[in-house]
Amino acid sequence: MARLNRTGYGRSAVLLLTGAYFLVPIACAIAFSIGIGAPRQALGFEAYTGIFGADGFTDSLTLTLKLAAATIALVLVLLVPALVTVRLAAPRLRTLVEIVCMLPLVVPAVALVAGISAVLRWGPDHFAGTPLFQAMAALQAPQFPMVLVLAYTLMALPLAYRTLDTGFAAIDLRVLVEAARSCGAPWPHTLIHVVLPNLRGALLNTAFLTLALVLGEYTVAAVLGYQPFAVWIVATSGSQAQMSVAVSMVGLLVTWMLLLLISAAGRARRPKENS
Amino acid sequence: MTDLLTDPESVRPTRAGSTVEFRGLRRAFGTTTALDGLDLEVRPGELLALLGPSGCGKTTALRTVAGFERPDTGEVLVDGEDITRVPAHRREAGMVFQSYSLFPHMTAIDNVAFGLRMNGTGKAARRARAAELLELVGLANHAARFPRQLSGGQQQRIALARALALRPRVLLLDEPLSALDAQVRLTLREEIRRLQQQLGITTLFVTHDQEEALSMADRVAVMRAGRLEQCAPPAELYERPATAFVANFVGVMSRIPARPGADGTTVGAFGRTLPVHGTLPGPVGTDGGSGEVDVLVRPEAIGVTADGDGTSQIVGATFLGATTRLTVRLAGGAEVMADVATHSTAGLPVGAKVTLTLPDRPVLVDRHSWGNGGRSGG
Amino acid sequence: MPLLLFAALAFGLPAGTMVFGALTTPETVPGGARFTGANMSASLHGPYLTALLGSVKLSALSALIAAVIGLPVAHAVVTSRFRALRESVLAGAGVLANFGGVPLAFAFVATLGNAGVLTTRFHLLGHGWNLYGFWGLTLVYLYFLIPLMVLTLAPALEGLRRQWREAAHNNGASTFRYWMHVALPILMPSLLGGYVLLFGTAFSAYATAAAMVGSSVPLVTMQIADALSGNVLVGQDNVALALGVDMVLVAGLVMAVQVPLQRRSTRWLA
Repeated sequence: MARLNRTGYGRSAVLLLTGAYFLVPIACAIAFSIGIGAPRQALGFEAYTGIFGADGFTDSLTLTLKLAAATIALVLVLLVPALVTVRLAAPRLRTLVEIVCMLPLVVPAVALVAGISAVLRWGPDHFAGTPLFQAMAALQAPQFPMVLVLAYTLMALPLAYRTLDTGFAAIDLRVLVEAARSCGAPWPHTLIHVVLPNLRGALLNTAFLTLALVLGEYTVAAVLGYQPFAVWIVATSGSQAQMSVAVSMVGLLVTWMLLLLISAAGRARRPKENS
Repeated sequence: MTDLLTDPESVRPTRAGSTVEFRGLRRAFGTTTALDGLDLEVRPGELLALLGPSGCGKTTALRTVAGFERPDTGEVLVDGEDITRVPAHRREAGMVFQSYSLFPHMTAIDNVAFGLRMNGTGKAARRARAAELLELVGLANHAARFPRQLSGGQQQRIALARALALRPRVLLLDEPLSALDAQVRLTLREEIRRLQQQLGITTLFVTHDQEEALSMADRVAVMRAGRLEQCAPPAELYERPATAFVANFVGVMSRIPARPGADGTTVGAFGRTLPVHGTLPGPVGTDGGSGEVDVLVRPEAIGVTADGDGTSQIVGATFLGATTRLTVRLAGGAEVMADVATHSTAGLPVGAKVTLTLPDRPVLVDRHSWGNGGRSGG
Repeated sequence: MPLLLFAALAFGLPAGTMVFGALTTPETVPGGARFTGANMSASLHGPYLTALLGSVKLSALSALIAAVIGLPVAHAVVTSRFRALRESVLAGAGVLANFGGVPLAFAFVATLGNAGVLTTRFHLLGHGWNLYGFWGLTLVYLYFLIPLMVLTLAPALEGLRRQWREAAHNNGASTFRYWMHVALPILMPSLLGGYVLLFGTAFSAYATAAAMVGSSVPLVTMQIADALSGNVLVGQDNVALALGVDMVLVAGLVMAVQVPLQRRSTRWLA
């Protein structure tokens, strides 16, 4: 197959060039973080070994992971029942749900945070002394700013909707549910033991993409004055440039590995279902 | 190619009846051998069906003519001219794919006119020609539809029109009916045959459906594991299959346990000695002598007579219309299928003792297979 | 449905406040909140306008480059025979496209910043290189825009049937003409849709530029953040809200183009 070989070379060239574009910065960043190539810096892995001891690292990472867990939970709790309802009971609501989930794409994070900060600033003036005031204060509690969870959930909706919708499209939900119901399974049982296991891949994917989003999110948190992971990295970069680069790289590579594992897990199940 | 359009009334290819020849074609994909030395000649204007189980190499052979596969060795000749090295887009072979081959962003007429657009035919001329082809496949009033607005059968007709638009030397059909409903399949089958004969175009038709092959083709080439088993007109293939494989694949065969004769040219079955068609398979003597071969006979060739002293017994009956297929258990336990005229089944109820008879002519013999007597082909 | 309730509250409240704020004067000025077009008009003049145009220009250009590069890359990845390569590239693209700009900005600062590995090794500063300028930012943006394009195009490319290419060849089309007359027209909705998505992403990106402290390119997102945190002038909150409304309008326009395109593409490729 002479022709195939020629396109084969073209493909290799394209992959090599883009591979270089994407790998060189990562390689350089790692080199930078261990002191290669940068002047006036000693070679060594202090930037990595010192990560855990760094000021604020544990706090910011813990905060981020807590935020991520809450966001993932909220996203799934909101979306899964909505998608099930749309597919089973109210197909006409489908467009509405789709539009609602895609809206956050239209409102950039910065615009969203401008609106949020305006609400937070004006709220206290108008609601002082009412229970709403308490609620607003709780939203902004520095230990666990619920307001970030709300913002992140909004920002994760488009991606989560698409991933989950693809997952739902791949199974015949109606048949699954009807089969389970005719076997006498009550509704909650059906959802937990029949529907969710069949969506495992899509759920995991959604969870990890949301995790990636929360881990890397900077805009909203920075403007509202909180210090989760990404904000901490930027704050650290002034004094400890090497370490901020090192943390960034670790974050990138770990997330990538996790996603690879998920896709491998999803693939391992598929052949069985197909045959 | 503008001369194509000098006579818009004529849809007949200017070079009716090309020959196609496969010579020692070999093609391997990794460790699987798709073609293992295929030799075959397609005569001018005939419809030749390539029939075989999946993986026998029939589609690879077809794609070699279209230029989508290059053989490792061997050559493909069209009108005696070696086209093995000609790129696919200069092959002058029209192909109809199994399904979904219409360009989804073009209307039916644009799909048909695509090839004419590629060779630079003027807009008015190619629309006229495409409209004429749509007429030919009976879809003139669907010209402005997009593929997704057409049924599966209509899509395949458009694909056929597109394949014919450039007046190809050869028409290649790659299981064009297998994705359609049974009813549509039957009508389209007849229509393809009618068009093919009207145009007199040499046609290669790949199918795994033996009924389709037998009903449409001038000749049927049965393939197995990348090689040709037999190439013959349908009746001959059915009446005188050259090998046990062909016999089993085409139509239904009953297997009757038999005893090979000492000289290797006869077998004994039902108390008679019959000449063997071809040769006895395998080293007969080594695996124990008697009872190691089966005689292959068509169910309709087996005679069934009620006989209270018979050693065989009817255990089942399936109504097929004019005939009824009886399942008969032999004394040794093997089950054999026999077709009898339905009006004569009154005397042959299930449970009756019967005697079976074989026709007096040479029979095909295969290695004994444990299991039930007959198997349906396809 | 709790989803709709949530969206109405968590989304509608800030959005409503934003629009309201953009159209009123701050409450702190004498006379309280009054309706005014001053914020909107301020957001479309002077440095704010420059920033808005800068954002549009940067987004349009980087999205275009990413789309042009992304197509052959996505094709090479999707048609690759090595499944491991395909999966790791797609997973990597998912990370880069979603992880956000901060780590990417640092990677580039470490590589091509003023003290970066390549900058010092090849003395790029002497050749007029500046990561913090327009082209530098474009280069960094491409780092997450190309993966996003690959992710967007991959399903469309997988939907290109082999029969279409073979039918085109069978009808006398060369590989080039197959791409011109069949593949590209079929992919066009996905390509345009992808471009629009990329534009929106680049347009709303803030973290990358913010993390590359010292960027000299005026961007509307930076202006909003600055105004919100009172870095430039006090009392510009409502202008920031007006800028936010500007952004929503641009992004809304962009989505209005994208959604019908996406519809068409899924219909063709289904």
